[in-house]
This record gives sequence, structure tokens and C-alpha cells, in this order.
Amino acid sequence: MIEVKNLTKRYGDRIAIDTLNFKVKKGEIVGFLGPNGAGKSTTMKIITGQMAPSDGQVWVGGDDVFEKPIEVKKRIGYLPETPPVYMDMYVRDFLTFVAKLKGCESKKIKTSVDLALEKTHLTEVSNRLIQNLSKGFKQRVGIAQALVADPEILILDEPTVGLDPKQVSEIRKLIQALKGHHTVVLSTHILPEVQASCERIIIINQGHIVAEDTLEGLTSRISGSKRVRLRLRKVNGVVDKLNLLNGVTQVNTNGNFMDVDYDGSDQTIESISNLVVSDGAGLLELRPDDVALEDIFIRLTSEGGAR
Amino acid sequence: MKALWTIAWKDFKTLVTSPIFFLTTAICTAIWSFNYLRSVSRFAQMSSLPPQMRQGQELNIHYHLFIDHISLINLIFIFAIPAITMRLISEEKKSGTYGLLLTSPITATSIAGGKFLAGFMVSLVLILVAFVYPLGTRAFTDFSMGPLLASFLGVCLMTGTYVAIGLFASSLSQSQVLSVILGILFNLILWLISQGSQMSDNEILSSVLDYIHVPQQFFSFLKGTINTSSFLFFLSAIGFFVFLTQRVVESSRWR
Ligand SMILES: Nc1ncnc2c1ncn2[C@@H]1O[C@H](COP(=O)(O)OP(=O)(O)OP(=O)(O)O)[C@@H](O)[C@H]1O
Ligand SMILES: [Mg+2]
Repeated sequence: MIEVKNLTKRYGDRIAIDTLNFKVKKGEIVGFLGPNGAGKSTTMKIITGQMAPSDGQVWVGGDDVFEKPIEVKKRIGYLPETPPVYMDMYVRDFLTFVAKLKGCESKKIKTSVDLALEKTHLTEVSNRLIQNLSKGFKQRVGIAQALVADPEILILDEPTVGLDPKQVSEIRKLIQALKGHHTVVLSTHILPEVQASCERIIIINQGHIVAEDTLEGLTSRISGSKRVRLRLRKVNGVVDKLNLLNGVTQVNTNGNFMDVDYDGSDQTIESISNLVVSDGAGLLELRPDDVALEDIFIRLTSEGGAR
Repeated sequence: MKALWTIAWKDFKTLVTSPIFFLTTAICTAIWSFNYLRSVSRFAQMSSLPPQMRQGQELNIHYHLFIDHISLINLIFIFAIPAITMRLISEEKKSGTYGLLLTSPITATSIAGGKFLAGFMVSLVLILVAFVYPLGTRAFTDFSMGPLLASFLGVCLMTGTYVAIGLFASSLSQSQVLSVILGILFNLILWLISQGSQMSDNEILSSVLDYIHVPQQFFSFLKGTINTSSFLFFLSAIGFFVFLTQRVVESSRWR
């Protein structure tokens, strides 16, 4: 559905993105993960035809973005970093305006607007001025305008920024519901975002793709190592014994919490819990911790990381 | 074409309900009312004089009352129209909605054309307000409508040119203040550029400058004549600035 080839963008002599290559298949949900300034927004602006690349090409649905901009733009719903809303318009009027701009049939406009309002839980505020809405509601209006024309492809630049936790999970659910019918590319710099909604992750750092894989693929890269988090009544004393245990690679304590990295076998877990219990340390909690994925992310995107 | 109208209608509604439009209308009507009442009383004085004391002049309501008012409309519009058009594009650039337009399946021509139309429709409201004065006079005295209609057309064309210029100024930056300053500046240059024809030695240049003799083109309408060349002159001026705006919009995709 989307194909990006050797995409490069220079601002003056600063290179924002450098020969990016990737493909997004129809119906896929792809997460664009990277730290601030990685080039996520720049890539998205080029795909949506808002900005020309310095080099390289982009095809959307088989058409070159710069040769057939109108055809390509019909297929795309786009949420930029700051929601593109007119402060002095009413929510419903604004969505109707966007639906018309995107070329919705006049008969379908009202139902499309209602549907978008419903999906983003905006129905109650549909007759309010946008400037009077809170930041999170403005963001939702931004998401609604991307959805309103029911586009094949959704490009969402940090869709859950500024939303409260309940809304974040609603939007994630909404994005997952789009799976299959729509192709979605979303960007974020926080990992849980992609873990929650994406099938495939493209990690980008300083304008380069540093990893591109499914969630499982990335997780399995951590060479078998896993982590459990323990909460104990008293930590002292157990640490040294744990360190000596077979299969345990590293122990970190933090207050009453203890992170134990181990080889991933059930047997090791068993001996860890046995030891803690028999030592009388008072085991209050033991749970697997997937912070390890965060670790790869940080490793990949830290300065001088894998290129 | 549909998109052009969508943009025009949205911007028209926003502009016509904006504080800046109310303010502009209020200031304009205050100035016009003051001046018109003064002119009317002067005209009444003049017409009450016996014919031999009018220095041989035939008293004509169009020449002695309306032209004065219409010139004032024009003078004020040089400043008022840029204030109305200043936000057309610069505001979109500032608030981030410009990207929405650029990523919608519409052409740069629809964007520039729609915004011009919006600005022109709002200005038309102001023009209609301005022509209430001479039309209201018809309740008291009868006069031929021809010259007034020609003047109306002239004012519309002249204002259309200001709108196109203001739109172009607005496309150049994110700042509304800069837009309004540039708009006024361009309007003044347009009025004064013909002065250059006397100063220039180059024959081609001076004949070109003679053609863009805006005062002459405009006053030919006020005198009640509609000549095709002046009509085309204003249409091409409008087309030229809308085209420049279209180029600016188009170019932002290539940067
Ligand atoms: N208009 C611009 N002029 C000059 N440099 C720019 C411009 N826009 C972006 N950049 C630079 O390009 C690089 C990539 O920026 P981009 O906005 O794409 O990052 P991002 O991945 O979206 O970051 P964030 O997570 O902060 O949104 C940055 O180094 C930024 O400074
Ligand atoms: Mg960004």
C-alpha cells in the first residue's frame, strides 16, 4: 500500500532523514518508533504530500505521491503533530468542512460526520466552539477529522499525545478496530503505544531505520534473557544468594523491589521463588517484567547505536 | 470547483462573523456617515443658490455628491481591505491548518481561488453598505442610475484588486501584521506606480506604466462609462495576483 524508496530529506545541510526504505502492506498497522527529532514527522509529511523529499520516491496505492497528488491524497487521512483545527469553528461544522474537502459525497456527509463523532466520543461536544475545548478534546477532533472521510490509509502522528489514560486506551482500541479495513501508520516515541496497537514496528533514529520487525521478532532478539520483578518485605541478604543462583544473570534492587534477570527457564523461576520463601524475605509479589523491550529500544536509539 | 466553493464559503462565514470585520465596518460607516452628511448639506446649499451664482456649472448630483463619496470609499478600502484579507492564508500557516489544506485532494488553484472569493464576498458586504448612502438619497430626489451603476462596477473591480493583493500578501508569511502592512504597501504602490511614467526615459517601460494607470482606469468608471479596456485591466490585475498566490501555495509543496 505504501512504499518508500531511498527517501532523503535535507533542511539546509542538516539531514533529517537519510535513505529510508520500507513498505507497508494493505491492512497492516505499523508503528513508527523513535526518539524526539528522529525524523518521524518529516517522513509522514512527505508521504502525505505536504512536503517534497530531497531525494527518493513514495508510492501510495501504486501511485507516485508527486505525480498524482490528488489521487493519493484521496486515500489518506492524516493527523499531524498539532491537530489541524480552526479555533473559531464548531466541532460539527469543522468535520463537515473536512468531509467536503476530502471529497465525500454530499449524501454521505452527515452520516460520516456522525460516525466520526461517535468513534472519537465527541458527540456531546459537537456543538461547541473548538477553541473552548480542552487540549485532549482538540486532539480527538484532530483524530476525528482524519477518520471522517473513511480513508483507506491513516497516517497518525503521535495520536494519543495529550489524552487522559482512559482516552488513550479508547483510541488504542479504536486503532485496533481499524485493522484489516484500513492501513495505519502511527508514530510515537513511547513504547507501550506500539506494543498496544501495532503489528509491526519500524524503529528510527537520527534519520535511519535501526530495526524493523514484528513485536515478537523484536522481543526474541533479547537473546533468551527475561526479567521478573519481586516485591519483598526485606531485601537485605537475599541479593547475594540470588546472585549465586544458577541461571540468574543480574539482580538490581530498588527499595523493596528487586529486578532479577534470568535465563528464561521455568526452573530458574522456581528456584528463585523457593530461595526467597525459604530465606524468610517475605515474598509479596512476583511478576514478569517486559521492560526488556524498552531496553532494546533504548540501546538501538542511543547515540552510536546499531546503524 | 466544488472544493473552491467549500473553502470560499467556510472562510466567508468565519470572516464575516469576525471581530475585525465588525470593527472595520464600524469605522468605515462612521467616516462615511460624517463625510456624506457634510457633502449633502454643502450640495443642498449649492442647489439653493440661484443658477447664475454657480459659476456656470450645471449642478449634477452624481458629480457633486456621489463621486466625492465613492472616492472616499476607495481611499478607505486601500487600508481596510488588507485588514480583512490579512488572515486568509497567514492564519492557516500559523495555526497548522495549512497542512490540512495541503494534504486534502484539492488543487492549489482551488485554495487560492476559494480564498479570493471569500475575501471578495466579505468586501462586497462592505461595498453594499457603502452604496446604501447614494441609494438612500433616491428617497429624497430622483436621479439617473446609470453612472451610479457604472461606479458600483468600478468599485467592485477596484476592491477585487485590493482583495487579490491582500490575499497574495497574506500568503507570504505567518504573520497577520506583516500581511496587512504588505497589503497596504502594495495597494499604495499600485496607485502611485503610474507616476513613474513621466520619470522614465525608456519608452516601453513608460507605455507599460501608462497602461497601469490605476487612477485613470478607476475614474473612467466613476464618470459613468464602462469601457472594455478598463474592465479587462482590472480583471487581469485580479487574475495576476490570484495566480501569484496560487504559485506560492503550490511552491510550499515543493519545499
Ligand atoms: N522546518 C525545519 N527546518 C529545519 N530543520 C527541521 C525542520 N523540521 C524538522 N527539522 C529537523 O529534522 C529532524 C527531524 O524532525 P522531525 O520533526 O521529523 O522529528 P520527529 O521524529 O517527528 O520528532 P518528535 O518526536 O520530536 O516529533 C530534527 O532534527 C529537526 O530539527
Ligand atoms: Mg514529530
